[in-house]
Amino acid sequence: MRLATPLWVLAPALVLVPVFGLLPGLSHGGGWELIGQFAWAAVTPSLDPLVLGSALQGLGVTVGIALLGWAASLVLGLVLGLLSSRTVWRTLSGNAWPAEVIRRLLALPRAIHELLWGLLLLALLGLKPAVAIAAIAIPYGALVARMTSDLLDALPTRQLEALRAAGAGPIGALLTALGPPLMPQVISYGGYRLECALRSATLLGVFGLGGLGAELRLTLQSLNFRELWSGLWLLLAVMLSLEGLLGALRQRWAMPQRFVLSQGGVGRRGREMVLAGVALVPLLVGVARVLEVDPLALVQPHPLPPAPPVDWAGVAALPWPSLITNTLVLTLTAAALAVGGAPLLLLAVRPWGWGRVLVQLLWALGRLWPPPLTALLLLFVVQPGVLTGALALAFHNLGILGRLLLEASEAGGDRAGRTPAEQALEASGSGARLALLYGRYSSVASSYLAYGAYRADVILRESVVVGLVGATGLGSQLLEALSSFAWDQIAALVLAYAGLTLLGEDLSDRIRQRLLAQQHTSSSATSAIPGSPAADALPA
Amino acid sequence: MSGPAVLELEAIRVAGRRAPRLDGVTLRLAAGERVALIGPSGAGKSTMLGVANGLISPEQGTVRWRGEPPARAGSGRRRRQQARIGTLWQDLRLIDELSVQQNINAARLASWGWPRALLNLLLPMDSAACAQLLSRLDLDPALLSQPVSALSGGQRQRVALARLLRQEPLLLLADEPLASLDPRLADELLTLLLLEAKAPRALLLSLHRPDLLSDFDRVVGLRAGRIVFDAPPGAIDPSMLQALYAGATAAPAGAA
Amino acid sequence: MRVRERLTAVLAGLSLALLPAVVSPMPPAALAQNSPQPAQQRGLKVLRVSAIPDQNPEKLNRLYGLVATELSKQLGVSVKYVPVTDYAAAVSAFRTGDLDLVWFGGLTGVQATLQKPGARMLAQRDIDAQFYSVFIANPKSGLKPIRSINQLSELKGKRFTFGSESSTSGRLMPQYFLSQAGVKLKDFAGGAPGFSGSHDATIALVQSGAYDAGAVNEQVWKANLRSGKANRSKVFQIWRTPPYPDYMWLAQANLDQRFGKGFTTKLQKAIVGWKPSDPEQKQILVLFGAQQFTTVNPAGYKQIEQVGRQIGKIR
Repeated sequence: MRLATPLWVLAPALVLVPVFGLLPGLSHGGGWELIGQFAWAAVTPSLDPLVLGSALQGLGVTVGIALLGWAASLVLGLVLGLLSSRTVWRTLSGNAWPAEVIRRLLALPRAIHELLWGLLLLALLGLKPAVAIAAIAIPYGALVARMTSDLLDALPTRQLEALRAAGAGPIGALLTALGPPLMPQVISYGGYRLECALRSATLLGVFGLGGLGAELRLTLQSLNFRELWSGLWLLLAVMLSLEGLLGALRQRWAMPQRFVLSQGGVGRRGREMVLAGVALVPLLVGVARVLEVDPLALVQPHPLPPAPPVDWAGVAALPWPSLITNTLVLTLTAAALAVGGAPLLLLAVRPWGWGRVLVQLLWALGRLWPPPLTALLLLFVVQPGVLTGALALAFHNLGILGRLLLEASEAGGDRAGRTPAEQALEASGSGARLALLYGRYSSVASSYLAYGAYRADVILRESVVVGLVGATGLGSQLLEALSSFAWDQIAALVLAYAGLTLLGEDLSDRIRQRLLAQQHTSSSATSAIPGSPAADALPA
Repeated sequence: MSGPAVLELEAIRVAGRRAPRLDGVTLRLAAGERVALIGPSGAGKSTMLGVANGLISPEQGTVRWRGEPPARAGSGRRRRQQARIGTLWQDLRLIDELSVQQNINAARLASWGWPRALLNLLLPMDSAACAQLLSRLDLDPALLSQPVSALSGGQRQRVALARLLRQEPLLLLADEPLASLDPRLADELLTLLLLEAKAPRALLLSLHRPDLLSDFDRVVGLRAGRIVFDAPPGAIDPSMLQALYAGATAAPAGAA
Repeated sequence: MRVRERLTAVLAGLSLALLPAVVSPMPPAALAQNSPQPAQQRGLKVLRVSAIPDQNPEKLNRLYGLVATELSKQLGVSVKYVPVTDYAAAVSAFRTGDLDLVWFGGLTGVQATLQKPGARMLAQRDIDAQFYSVFIANPKSGLKPIRSINQLSELKGKRFTFGSESSTSGRLMPQYFLSQAGVKLKDFAGGAPGFSGSHDATIALVQSGAYDAGAVNEQVWKANLRSGKANRSKVFQIWRTPPYPDYMWLAQANLDQRFGKGFTTKLQKAIVGWKPSDPEQKQILVLFGAQQFTTVNPAGYKQIEQVGRQIGKIR
């Protein structure tokens, strides 16, 4: 029995069967009243000027941290990307091995989630605005570096060789030959990273690293749902405008020539890009000044925390097998729920026009709402544990995957997003849902699943953030170790995490390449998932 | 000819960005009638076929399928109406990722419930019926298990036709099905289509080739959204064709 | 294209409209938690006061705002309250010198003292040398008040929440007493207890029924009963723990160097001298739930350190 492509998209949703089987046993319904209050508060947020003012201030700090962390990660990433590019090293020194070494070294910062960076830096350096920014810049920088070097090394080198043969200096030749093809992709990817940075900055706030996140968590914990929603709606407005703005810019700047008339267009876009880049600098400086960021605080010598005697026996005595199993179960459950849930939801609401809008709103809330807060909310009605953590992570990632699925599957569709094949099926009397399944999911299946495989690896890294809800594996153990200042355990747990993530990355890369290879052999021109990397092996 | 009407369009108007894409179009197709639709690019042929198959709802005018107005979009009755309208699309609109058999069976989605629709994605369904269709269209039934993406252009065209026939429609619509075919294949396909379009069926086919009109019952000339003439092929003379296509060679295709 | 341009313009406008929120200078309170360092570098003498976030933030803001004003008035230096959202973060920030004077719990205070040798325990409330936790329950849980510590075993299989992971009265000591009664953390429903984050949150969650039972700081519990936030028909006390030492004011060792000789003593005298007869000071004492502050006997916290080590919160 060979599973046909569109079903692969839905197959992960089979995880719903055991989840629904287990949920009744785990739910206790104790706090349904609270959930009701929470939902009601969504439509009656507090409009108290004091509340709104403090939410706006928190939001300002969050956006500022996101912007600065993002900008720092781009600079860091481009430099490190050039340094880990084989082409660059070969052109400059004739040897490619330093690129390999740097590339390997960069795997570690990438494998550690920004929240972990944040908590580690906080424990080492104390409360400084630069800590949150560095927490974003370090892992993001390593990601951007990998993307840049992958892109660079995938570019054809003929032009470069021609320039070199004509006597151009190595740096000039590199810039001329590789700069122009690289820029649009870097800009498109960079824009996507800014959306991620906003989510990360919110999450860091939840753990006390500044900004709106802290207020979200405190208002949730003190059950002030109306104040909570004031902050949430503001954050939603900022997130949606940022996504819209970046989407519009991406289309304007990075789209193929289809909409733009040759020369004049290129010049205008070029000027616009330069202008935007230039306008960004004073903005960043201003934000840094207002936030009183002091980058030197990161390198100032600090008294290291006193190291208690290292207790390796204690480290070894941690329940490693169950920690790792729980982490993996959590990751796979969340990934399957998110990957399979998005197309399933879309399918469920397909016949109703408003259904799509509703689902989009739900997804936007999922993206916005940091997973630890979902987890706390779930605890009102569900017992703590792996499944609760998985549900929280799944909701967040559902928002991200759903948006990408919708964008990719509606590219080239009509006003309702229907692809030609889907229209044809509907015109022959097929129901809207079956037409969606046959006509649209078939063509996005491989690129969507390829992105899902990448996302699963991100979820593994992210599983630390739901450590709050207890018994969820490495994440909860790590948070406990951090609050006990048990450096030996912290080190061991971080390494275990990084190891797992790197293994996961390798595995998901392989899966992705197989899926994308499948897509290339099929003759259809399938839309790539935006934000995931048109090129094959890129992290997003 | 005046069998029962399979399709009636009355005073249809579809707005466009600058000029209306269709303006006051009236057309009646009786069972057994085979009508060719000709006109320059941008004349509104695809729009008219879109109105005829329900994909486009006109701002003004009435559509009737076998005497009934279109039911509310999304309703079960509408789906039953649509199930009797088969369209051969210019770009075929096959699902590349699925096998030939799954594609042909996709024509049955209107009457199949979810279980059969899902099963069709897992197992070869109704193999005998599909194989029979392929042989009728001169294709090797061994192709059934092949993915559509592996077929040649001519084979894909026939698979699309097989899907159309598997639907068992009463109204056959075809949007420039011959455009991308070499003359021999075009001839063959047209013959097949004309052969299938016997009462109670009716055929409305748009094309670009004035030399192939002789086997149709009527020829409708469309220009700038209006019907210029509607006459049997014998009554069409070269000057009418010249007038229809005059100055339109570089017509913008953007309106479509 | 034109539509897209307009969309771009609208979105750009929207985001520009939001910029002021980012760029406009904000009152220091908004950024206080982020910005102690530069003030210090500019050589301004600002005493940075903080506290573990054990209660609702609005209460903390009111209380420590008053404390900052009062200390500033008494000591003649500028005093700033720096809110912190996490217990462990408060300890780290004390170690790195970002905070000068912190109201710590027993456990966090001991953690901070161990990480920053020389730090001085300046004062505690009259109630802190003999502090209590209470176990509370929701009537729907079927739990009844208990008489002896061993009966804590009735909590097995119940949904149970602590406060913060690093709370002395909301986690450390309750967990210690639970373990004496043979209750392990994995005995609770779901295989783990919850961590509500603060005492107020624990009370609200148990009252709502989200948890069957929880452990809270007695002083906060009483304050909630008085204010009516805790509804006796929905949440009630089932057991009061034996006493143990808890909260303290912990000060950096270098305050004399920075603020002048004898500053630490002056600071201590100021706090210990707060009297109900002074209206401002009375307000502070009421919010602290105390009659007055006293000096601290550091040896009293040996018990906390031992329990902390036993449970693994101190290494």
